[in-house]
Amino acid sequence: MKLLSLTSALCLTAVLSAQDLTPKAPPQAGPIVIENAILHTIDAGVIANGTLWFEGGRIRGVGPVASELGIPPGAERVDGRGLHVYPGLIGANTRIGLEEIEAVRATRDFDEVGDATPEARAAVAVNPDSTVIPVTRANGVLSVGVIPSGGLVPGRAAVMQLAGWTWEEMAVDADCGIVVEWPSLSSRRGRDDEERVARALEQRATIDAAFRDARAYLEARSHDPALATDVRALALAPALRGEEPVLVRADNVEQIQSAVTWAVGLGLRVVILGGEDALLCRDLLRMHDVGIIVTGTHRLPKRRDAAVDEPFRLPAELDAAGLRWCLASNSPFYNERNLPYHAATAVAYGLDHDAALRAITLSAAELLGVADELGSLSVGKRATLLLTDGDPLEFTTEIRRAFVEGRAIDLGSKHTRLAEKYREKYRQLGIERK
Amino acid sequence: MRFAGVSLVLCALATAQTPPSNGPRPVDPGWHALTGGTAIVQPGRSVDHATIVIRDGRIASVRENGPVPPGARTWDCSGLMIYAAFVDPHVRVTVPREESTSAVEHWNPNVLSHRTALAVGLDPKRAATLRELGFGAAAIAPDDGIFRGIASAVSLDEPGEGESRTVLKDGVFGTIGFAPLSEPRGYPSSQMGVIALIRQTLLDAQWHQRDRSTLRPFLDELAPRKRALLFDTRDELEALRAAKILQEFELPGGLIGSGFEFRRLDAIQATGLPVIVPLAFAPAPRIESIDDRERVTLRELLTWEHAPTNPRRLIDRGIVVALTTDKVKPSKFWTQLRRAFAFGLNHDQALSALTTTPARLLGLERELGKIEPGYRANLLVVDGRIDDEEAERRSIWVDGRRFELEQPPEIDLTGRWTAALELGGAQVDRIEFRSNQAAVVHAGDAEVEAKRVRVRERQVDVTFDAEPLGGAGLVTLNGVAESTRMFGSGVAADGRRFGWSARHTGPLEDDAKSKDTDAAETTPPRLDITLPLPFGAYGLTEPPASERLIVRGATIWTSGSGGILDDGVLVADQNGKIEFVGPASALPAGTTGTTIDASGLHVTPGLIDCHSHTGISKGVNEGTQAVTAEVRIGDVVNPDDVNWYRELAGGLTAANQLHGSANPIGGQNCVVKLRWGVSHPDAMKLDGAPPGIKFALGENVKQSNWGERHTTRYPQTRMGVEGLLVDRFAAARDYAKARQRDPSTRRDLELDALAEILTGARLIHCHSYRQDEILMLCRIAEQFGFRIGTFQHGLECYKVADAVAKASRGASVFTDWWAYKFEVVDAIPSNGAILWETGVPVSFNSDSNELARRMNGEAAKATKYGGVPPSEALKFVTLAPARQLGVDDRIGSLEVSKDADFVIWSGDPLSSMTRCLATYIDGRRYWSIATDIEARKSAAAERERLIQLVLGLDETAFEEVSEPGDPTRLDELDNLPGDCGCCQEVAR
Repeated sequence: MKLLSLTSALCLTAVLSAQDLTPKAPPQAGPIVIENAILHTIDAGVIANGTLWFEGGRIRGVGPVASELGIPPGAERVDGRGLHVYPGLIGANTRIGLEEIEAVRATRDFDEVGDATPEARAAVAVNPDSTVIPVTRANGVLSVGVIPSGGLVPGRAAVMQLAGWTWEEMAVDADCGIVVEWPSLSSRRGRDDEERVARALEQRATIDAAFRDARAYLEARSHDPALATDVRALALAPALRGEEPVLVRADNVEQIQSAVTWAVGLGLRVVILGGEDALLCRDLLRMHDVGIIVTGTHRLPKRRDAAVDEPFRLPAELDAAGLRWCLASNSPFYNERNLPYHAATAVAYGLDHDAALRAITLSAAELLGVADELGSLSVGKRATLLLTDGDPLEFTTEIRRAFVEGRAIDLGSKHTRLAEKYREKYRQLGIERK
Repeated sequence: MRFAGVSLVLCALATAQTPPSNGPRPVDPGWHALTGGTAIVQPGRSVDHATIVIRDGRIASVRENGPVPPGARTWDCSGLMIYAAFVDPHVRVTVPREESTSAVEHWNPNVLSHRTALAVGLDPKRAATLRELGFGAAAIAPDDGIFRGIASAVSLDEPGEGESRTVLKDGVFGTIGFAPLSEPRGYPSSQMGVIALIRQTLLDAQWHQRDRSTLRPFLDELAPRKRALLFDTRDELEALRAAKILQEFELPGGLIGSGFEFRRLDAIQATGLPVIVPLAFAPAPRIESIDDRERVTLRELLTWEHAPTNPRRLIDRGIVVALTTDKVKPSKFWTQLRRAFAFGLNHDQALSALTTTPARLLGLERELGKIEPGYRANLLVVDGRIDDEEAERRSIWVDGRRFELEQPPEIDLTGRWTAALELGGAQVDRIEFRSNQAAVVHAGDAEVEAKRVRVRERQVDVTFDAEPLGGAGLVTLNGVAESTRMFGSGVAADGRRFGWSARHTGPLEDDAKSKDTDAAETTPPRLDITLPLPFGAYGLTEPPASERLIVRGATIWTSGSGGILDDGVLVADQNGKIEFVGPASALPAGTTGTTIDASGLHVTPGLIDCHSHTGISKGVNEGTQAVTAEVRIGDVVNPDDVNWYRELAGGLTAANQLHGSANPIGGQNCVVKLRWGVSHPDAMKLDGAPPGIKFALGENVKQSNWGERHTTRYPQTRMGVEGLLVDRFAAARDYAKARQRDPSTRRDLELDALAEILTGARLIHCHSYRQDEILMLCRIAEQFGFRIGTFQHGLECYKVADAVAKASRGASVFTDWWAYKFEVVDAIPSNGAILWETGVPVSFNSDSNELARRMNGEAAKATKYGGVPPSEALKFVTLAPARQLGVDDRIGSLEVSKDADFVIWSGDPLSSMTRCLATYIDGRRYWSIATDIEARKSAAAERERLIQLVLGLDETAFEEVSEPGDPTRLDELDNLPGDCGCCQEVAR
């Protein structure tokens, strides 16, 4: 337990700054084995009293019988008796690292100037020293989708693990998809005025043109390699080749329908980001096998007359409809730590508990295209996992330890250090609850 | 009424001065007799074969078969109906500020109480339009601002060149509107600000009666009871707010209605006020796309369905109703009036509302509204009853002068006409005229719709295509019609001329006729059904029942001395108070009542949100000034906000409605219980809650995140915030002393509220973040000798817990929000726990319609981030806020004699996977899963029923009937997007 004692000592050095000073863990040095724990593998059920070991940042063995796992002698042993192991939770829809203080413009790096800026890459702007990172990790969210937003094609999303000295070390997939903000013809309230509809249609044409122009450019360039470099067109190439999905933000029925038809028509792989009305176009979504990243259950019902629990119930109903979906949060970037409670609410309103866990782990990894790296306790994947004293969906559950790609994570943060600092004040003053 | 008397005389003189005529003087004998018609001399009384004699603009006599005096000009009205011309009690006219104001002005441009509509009078075109609609007199009133000015009754005659319009009565009432001027922008911007300005101005008017040291014409005009005040309302809640103001100041007055009164009929009836009712019924909502279908609200649909019943419903309740052309396009007035008839308004009711009632409201009941000797000769001649769909207005008389209106066609061709004309293969044998504009030409079994039909006087022109009839090309028929015969000449496609004739041989077959009249008429809804409250989905038709309840078998979290009871029993008495709470074993034998089996479930006190902006109408901030202590959330409680219902579904039973944080001293709070479905908004208020007020510190009040334009309002720094607060408290102290010395000192509602803070009667709820500003307010409180209510948000209270404990009732904080602006960089989720550890009273609040539905989960975060024991954590959202709000004698814990406000949960209330099953307030079940499922079903069925109706409507049903800017859809107006300034959405 050398690592643990080291980190707890560092916890006491209270450092206060917008730059986070939580110590960073080094890459995994030697094999670590977690014994006698309840392993929630996600893709292979629950192993009541199992063993899991990892080395070089990768899971090497998972199973009920330790002796069959080929654990090398001398591995660091972690006693998991009475504890649970889960893959790290994945927050699929965040701006972590792109934003530090919402109201301070200088700290906002998620919205580039221009309607279509596919060259803008989220990964390269993620600040590895954001104070938000340790706070997010402390509640079990160990990887995130970082999604640029604003405009029409705001840029390229990335999947980042919440540990590493640089954004490069953090990147699980630095280019996991092109984000498209699909304009809605209808407003949330009030009537659709013609002006609004005309503007939205024009914007849709702009998006379409960006992709079609890029395709034409790529075709031209393949015949004339001397053609000048168009960074925007090149940025769209992987999506046009079907190697990367387009993550299309769409919530209203008509918005989802038109977005899917557009993307399918262009031969793009489409994932819907939002999907509040997904149930109303389930057949279309099923037909094209469109994945849906549901952005949170903690929102008000979409419409005045909607059932009070409509957002709470959406995941259960998507699941029952057999759609491909995962759950993200709609929390502001600084409160991605509440992701598990979005899932918990879905459970309270009808979603199977296992499905809820999968929705914020493996399903999220699948829709972000990183299921070979993250999302379950499976051999070969990154050793990004949690050791808890209970169900991570429950408020009072404590995350005991966390590993990101095998690195033992300091679960302290600016928040824990500030709490400790001021508890010390009251100790000095002799103030306590009577 | 001296001033009114004087001006009347002046006006009489003015009209007596005729300009010199250009040439020989015109002489009008002014002597007429209308004979043979049926005179409706007043609603419900008619004289057949009436002879109405008019002399010099007045009615001289009305007699059945009366003689025509020699010398009078006779007008044959046989077969016609003669009504008293209508009186419009509210016609708005635009009076530019500069037209009517003087050097002595109120500081606020919205106060123009001394402005008079007569400064501009009524444009002749508009007078003509009103005449065409059947009106002979109207009250004209200025139309913008809050205190808009003085209305006067005028004749709708047509003054000659150089003459002025006859003024029937100067100064019939003053009008007040709820919409502040859009230009110049400034105070007030919110509805509560508008009401505060009205209240202060009316108080000033009282005070001005005693203190006449300065000329204040705008206050003279508002002298108590000088004249009636009419409030122009845009929805039914504004109507109730207007009524409260009139009641508070014991002023005579009335309402210019919105047309939405039917949505809160009981409460409107209880005001006892007369209502001037517009006919601007909301058009049907368009439903084309699936988005439309999903988005349309039952409230919108029901409003469309029931709006035309509004006049009838109001009259049935004994409310004094006058109808007006206000708020409806003139071209739609009669179609809307006929809709009202179709929806239950009857002839005599309508007539009263158009004649005698408005005449009485204007104090002209001896001049207008009836056909009686001595009355003004204002008559409307119609060729049928006004409730007859087909009736046409023929002429209108105003002050003895006749104006011709629509004349009947010389001839009506409708019917079957037999003809015989040979058109090169086509044997035309019949023409069926559906009207004077449409006809079908028949040749044996073949038929063709005429392309064009025109009838001018007796001249008939028809064009049709002969080809479908076996002929060729377009044929025109031209001729003249007599009563049953028609003859003329025609031209065939080849230019051949021919003669033709036709004979009227009977009426149209029914099926032919029905083609013309099949415009889908919706069936009017029944008038005897009870409309839901709030109006729309999830509304109630009766309040939840009150009965003795015994809740058994649950784990009861009392938040009180009882702690957590494993097998507890809770008994609520019939009056909604807790009668017993304790272990089952201690329940007195023989306790009977309706038993709720809650075995395996959990019960907690109703949750309390100490910081809510739910249900605040039309503006959460009066942020136009740094200090607005005079505005009151209690003036603008909106019981229709569906978020109340959603919050009930999360176990919330009480909320502290707060002003936003746009200014250092905001408005007064309102503590409510979530009594969904109340008749009057005031019924939501928690009686006896100590008054409070919102204060705010830091970035919001410094306008730090409002953009570069906002850099001039004081304060712009935390230093200035302190300076301003000290100044205001010093001013309040001086003011209180002055009022004590001399009770006739002018009352200032802003300083009143601040002085109440100094006496301890009013609690400050202070939006605050940083420890420096928190400590600053603690020191001010010390200096001025009062105790603070709460620090709201107080995200750095954990840094100065000792000071907070000493100076206040503690902190009401967010659990885990941070990083949304610079001043919250040090916010930590253990704030609540640290405060609790150090003995500071602490509650968690939502500041959010969404989070307010999940406050039990927020409580759990006290356990999560600091290990507060669960029973104590729950108190963060029950007993602690109740104490901070000073209502813990009533709510916050389950203890005997407190209110039976409780929630039944599916499991441990602090679990993330627990659901609220039922919510009780005052022992009444306001929400439960079962009742909610029923409500959803019935809302869905109602929506489908109405959507079916809407889908079948003609295009006309969707046309706007109101002038632009008039609200026919309240929901666009109400609940403007929140600008509370303290929630994260706004900081963005």
